[in-house]
Parts: sequence; C-alpha cells; structure tokens
Amino acid sequence: MFIDRMLNEGSTPLLEQMVRFTAARHELIAADVVNISTPGYKQKDLDLGAFQHILAERAEQRDSSGPENVDFSDIDQEVDEPRGMLFHDGANRSMDQLMSDQAKNALMHNVAIELLRQQFQTLELALKERVS
Amino acid sequence: MFDSLDIGASGLAAQRTRMDTIANNILNARTTRNAAGGKETYRRKFVVLAPGQANDPSKPGVHVQEIDSDQTAFRKEYDPGHPDADAQGYVSYPNVDTAIETVDAMEASRAYEATVTMMDVTKSMINASLRLIA
Repeated sequence: MFIDRMLNEGSTPLLEQMVRFTAARHELIAADVVNISTPGYKQKDLDLGAFQHILAERAEQRDSSGPENVDFSDIDQEVDEPRGMLFHDGANRSMDQLMSDQAKNALMHNVAIELLRQQFQTLELALKERVS
Repeated sequence: MFDSLDIGASGLAAQRTRMDTIANNILNARTTRNAAGGKETYRRKFVVLAPGQANDPSKPGVHVQEIDSDQTAFRKEYDPGHPDADAQGYVSYPNVDTAIETVDAMEASRAYEATVTMMDVTKSMINASLRLIA
C-alpha cells in the first residue's frame, strides 16, 4: 500500500507514460526513415501535443492506482501536410524533419529515463534509511 | 524498442539491394550482348520498394517487392564499325543514363546513412532504458 502510493502518486507514472510514448513514436519515425525512398508512402507520427493533453487529463483523474495507459491509436496520425518539396510519387518525405524529430524524441526519452532513475535512487535511499 | 532495430535492418537490406542494382546498371551502361555472348542489349533495372517487412508485410519496415526492367527505348549511336551495328550502322546501347544512376546512388547512400544513424539512436535509447535496472 505504501509502496503503491509512492510509485503511483508522484511523477513516476507520468514519466513511465512518457517513456512509452517516446518508444512508440521512435518506431513510427524509424519506419518513416526506412521508407524515405518508397513511392507514395505517407509518413506517420504521434502528435506530442495531443499526448500531453491526454496525459494531463489522466493525471488529474488518477487515483492511488496511477493514471491509465494512454492508447496511442487515439493520437496516431498520418502526416498530411507536405514536408519540404513535393514529389511526383505523392510521398511527403523530408529527411531533415525526420532526423530532427528523431533527435528531439530520443532526448525526451533519455530525459524521462534519467528522471525515473533519480526517482528510483531516491526511493532506494529511503528504503535503506541512510544517505549514502 | 527492439522492433526499431528490425525496422532499421529492413531499410539497410533494401538500400543495399538498390545500390547493387544501380552498380549493375552503371557497369552495363555499354553492354550490347548477353552472358552467353548473343546480341542482346542490356536493359536498365530498378528496385520497387514497398512498406512492410519482407517476411511479414504487416510489420513496419521496407522491402524490395521486385526488381523490374526499364522499358524505355535504347540509345542509338552511329558506329558502323561495331560488330553489333544494324544495317544502317546504328548500335542500340542500354537505356542507362549514368548521371541518373549516380544521383540514385547518392540517394541510396544517404538513405543508408540515415538508417544507420536511426539504429544508433535506437541503441542509445535502449542503453538509457537498461540503465534503469543497472
């Protein structure tokens, strides 16, 4: 009960959702990168703004069991707007945009992991009942 | 997260096949005979890429669906001394434009590099996740 509260009431579950989101988004970006030369391929992405909105709602509604997992199919989207130059095959590829999205997403993932790690370290210290 | 490495591997394999095809086109840009020595002008080949893994197209990734032949006309050059010249002295050379092939090769090379970078980023993310339990 005490451990449940410690794990579910702070920012830990939100960071966990963030890691899930960045991992799922990374897979979509990876598929976009390898399909950069595929004719007619429409790039897919997860909308960060929509995810943060859903996560904020879940965080407000959560109880001691922590927020529910965000279903990424709700925010999964095909990128409709052209990214850079138009291609004759109808693809909306943009390597620059993809690499930038990938770098930002990886940074976000690593920040969330680092914050989680620090929280677990703090928890570990509390369980040991000593500072070092 | 490990699926991203499979996705990257499918991209590397597809771009490698594409580069092999381009290299074959450039090497055969003046080939007017087949492997058996018969008179047959080489036809340019190109890869047709499709989304999905080769063994399971429902999984994200990319694969070479087929390697097709370019059906555009051959280049005619006046060279009456050539053994494969026709009655008017023209030789049919392959429909390969080395400039186009070079640009395609650069594109394939860049796509390959991007995929390698993506796989490096994937590994760094996996390493970060593994540090949680270390």
